[in-house]
Amino acid sequence: MSKREHLLKIGVSGIRGVVGGFLTPGLACEFAQAFGTYVDKGRVVLGRDTRSSGEMLENAVTAGLLAAGCEVIQVGILPTPTIQMYVAAIGAAGGIALTASHNPPEYNALKLFNHEGLFFNNYERAELLDLYHQSDFYQATNEEMRGVQVHHDRPMALHLERVLKHIDLARIRARRFRVALDGVNGAGSLMSVHFLRDVLGCELHAISVDPTKVFPREAEPRPDTLGDLAALVRRERCEIGFGQDPDGDRLAVCDETGHVIDNDDALALVADAALERVEGDVVVNLTTSSVIDAVAQRHGRRVFRTAVGEANVVEGMQSVRTAIGGEGSNGGVIFPSVHLCRDSYTGMAFLLNRLANSPGTVSERVAALPAFFRRSSKVAFEHGRLGPLMQSLEAVYPEAQINRADGLKLSFPDGWIHVRASNTEPLLRIAAEATTAARAEQLQMAVEGLLRSR
Amino acid sequence: MQRAKALRISPVGVRGIVGPGLTVTHALDFAAAFGTLLATDGPVLLGRDPRSSGQMLRSAAISALLACGRDVIDLGIVSTPVLQHAIRRLNAAGGISLGASHNAAEWNALKFLGPAGTYLASSEAGELLDIYHLKKFAFVEWNQIGKLTYSADAIDTYLDDLARIFDFEKLRKFRVVVDCCNGTSSTILERVRDRFNWPLILINARLEGSAFAHEPETSARMVGSQLGPLIQPLQADAGFLFDADADRIACATSRGEALSEELILPLVADGQLAKFPGRIVLTNLSTTALVEDVAKKRGGEVIRVAVGRQAAIDALSGFRPEQIAVAGEGTGAVMLPQFRFVYDGIAAMLMILTIMADRGQALSEIVAGFPKFAMLKGEVPLKQMRIPQLYTELREAFGDEGRANTLDGLRVDWPDHWFHVRVSQTEPIVRVICEGRGEAPQALFDGLMEQVRRLA
Repeated sequence: MSKREHLLKIGVSGIRGVVGGFLTPGLACEFAQAFGTYVDKGRVVLGRDTRSSGEMLENAVTAGLLAAGCEVIQVGILPTPTIQMYVAAIGAAGGIALTASHNPPEYNALKLFNHEGLFFNNYERAELLDLYHQSDFYQATNEEMRGVQVHHDRPMALHLERVLKHIDLARIRARRFRVALDGVNGAGSLMSVHFLRDVLGCELHAISVDPTKVFPREAEPRPDTLGDLAALVRRERCEIGFGQDPDGDRLAVCDETGHVIDNDDALALVADAALERVEGDVVVNLTTSSVIDAVAQRHGRRVFRTAVGEANVVEGMQSVRTAIGGEGSNGGVIFPSVHLCRDSYTGMAFLLNRLANSPGTVSERVAALPAFFRRSSKVAFEHGRLGPLMQSLEAVYPEAQINRADGLKLSFPDGWIHVRASNTEPLLRIAAEATTAARAEQLQMAVEGLLRSR
Repeated sequence: MQRAKALRISPVGVRGIVGPGLTVTHALDFAAAFGTLLATDGPVLLGRDPRSSGQMLRSAAISALLACGRDVIDLGIVSTPVLQHAIRRLNAAGGISLGASHNAAEWNALKFLGPAGTYLASSEAGELLDIYHLKKFAFVEWNQIGKLTYSADAIDTYLDDLARIFDFEKLRKFRVVVDCCNGTSSTILERVRDRFNWPLILINARLEGSAFAHEPETSARMVGSQLGPLIQPLQADAGFLFDADADRIACATSRGEALSEELILPLVADGQLAKFPGRIVLTNLSTTALVEDVAKKRGGEVIRVAVGRQAAIDALSGFRPEQIAVAGEGTGAVMLPQFRFVYDGIAAMLMILTIMADRGQALSEIVAGFPKFAMLKGEVPLKQMRIPQLYTELREAFGDEGRANTLDGLRVDWPDHWFHVRVSQTEPIVRVICEGRGEAPQALFDGLMEQVRRLA
């Protein structure tokens, strides 16, 4: 059972799979028709990333939505956050982005948004899934058929306008930053070049910004996948480097020495910049580094923690007055004044704004953050075994402060352990953090030792 | 047997009322089956009529074909003949025509065309159905997926070909009114008007998604509804009515009289045989016997096959194009060998006008020269399914001394009259047709109808 390859997943996060034999046009079309039935013949915004299967799925989803009596607003190749904002901006009934985010190019997925341009919450997802499984879709007649509209430039302009409201444009432009960019030939390629070079006036050195080409590297922006970006930063003596994922929601940051900084630190830097400008608390997931607590404390704000997953963080953000949120581990910042979604453009803008407004290089700013030592690993794991493991782990650390919102998180004065089952794969994710490297290693080994002994 | 007649899946393709019958899933699976079936390399072309549901079917077809690794060229809203023409010109592997022809607006259909631009032969069509039912489609890996492009010059290159066959300089002296029925003939004829400086008068020329001015049926009745009354006030030489995908026509004389749709084939056969004597006229068993008279006069031969487009397509594959004068049926649909056997209403219209020009005769005069036949048509709901018994009893009761043909139902011929009784392919009814030279064989028809009602 756990040996099964995850070539197709239809579940609470929508529908994701390997194109070809698994994520077929028929499946995408039916799911879209269920979605169209769910939003009751409304307008639906449809966009996609640059994957080779994008056009095929765009047509399958368009067909399904039209068949359900929806009007389809095609926005073409755009970052996911841009699509989400546009859904809310034009008062659409919902939106669909065709992107498998950081997954390899053979994958694709349907990401689903409600009328506010937010990821479907658990209730909405369950409702939609029921509709899908019942196969009781609305079948519009010729008389009821609505059409397809293509909206080209407006979504991007709207997104960038919103971001620009929160930065000091003149100051950034005056600095003429030397910036490196790795767009992974993704949905943000053209928009990022336009934003950094034309709008923010940077001296831009960009690689992989051709949306017609395949991903030149592993799609997830991480230190080990951003070697070309780091080399580019060094070669062109850039002040900062940005690495995007194929749908432009995640951001990785490279300092001026060519070192790709930890995503938790990048989040902390952006949060620091955001808290400078807006009121409100911070919401992050349980696996996000404690560095965020130090930054929040500096501004006198609180930190709330949620289960892992963008939708969970966003739900958390809706329940408190939030200045900024995000998920440290995967490089996403969520700035609600722009939109309640992960947005690499907000991240880039805030970091450049910060550099423009105060002295110090990126590496100096990272060095100024409190130091935490982080370790993470993933272990093949059967879902049903998490409960017993949690119980034994608790027994080992009776003094720990316990959080069971997503797996088990044990917090100590000098660190924490978080174990949780992956939502998408039969994996156990283990994360540990401490103020010393030795303690972090000790905590992680404790869990792995327990796993081995069972 | 009175179940909803909202969907029909047959070797000719899939046709139905969108929503309750024809769904996006049918379109997707059929297009995927077609993408799986295609043997030759090359792109697949798409064209559609203006029905609102066309865009939905189009997206479904594109998606399935791309997923099968086929490049797709979308011609947009074009007539089926224009699409068929483009398939040959672009060396495509095939094409899908989305449109429900003469059916009402709520219908739509997918029609499949092979690399020559012609409808699939029965064997290929059967294969397509098998793949459709098996649902084992040849979807390719992510990096083999096809690309979508658009082509906007299909109508002009189609007109290039028409201009090689028809003398527009000669035809443009005619004052012609055309009822486009809000379908794809309008974009072609608007282009003809501009390109050949021919002031055609077009009515119902706006492409409509659902609000057709009237049913897109090419019948004498429909000619009478709007087109006919306009002809005399506009002092036109002739009037033509097209269905939504411009593959068939009906026409009216300069006096505004609607001609029976049965006359289109004899008219075109007359013109073609005058030019190409000795050739074959291919038609079905239900078409008027006037075809034989025309052929005899012009030294041609008539071959009759079962009713339906598929039978004609299959039969034609056994001949070289230069053996055929014309193929067609009594509905106003004709195929010319110059166009490799594509039902083409525009070509049929131009052919009729060419005959008028060559002979210097009005349409009414040409028709007046034909021997008179009178036809009676009836239909009876099919309830008992005792079809072989029906044919046997009819033959015993009515067939004495006649020449019987059982290729498709029962047709019996006498020197001056004939009848044809068959079960419809599209609806659960029995069709009864009688025709006589001069006068209609009313007594025979009444007797047949009574017997059929009893046995059907």
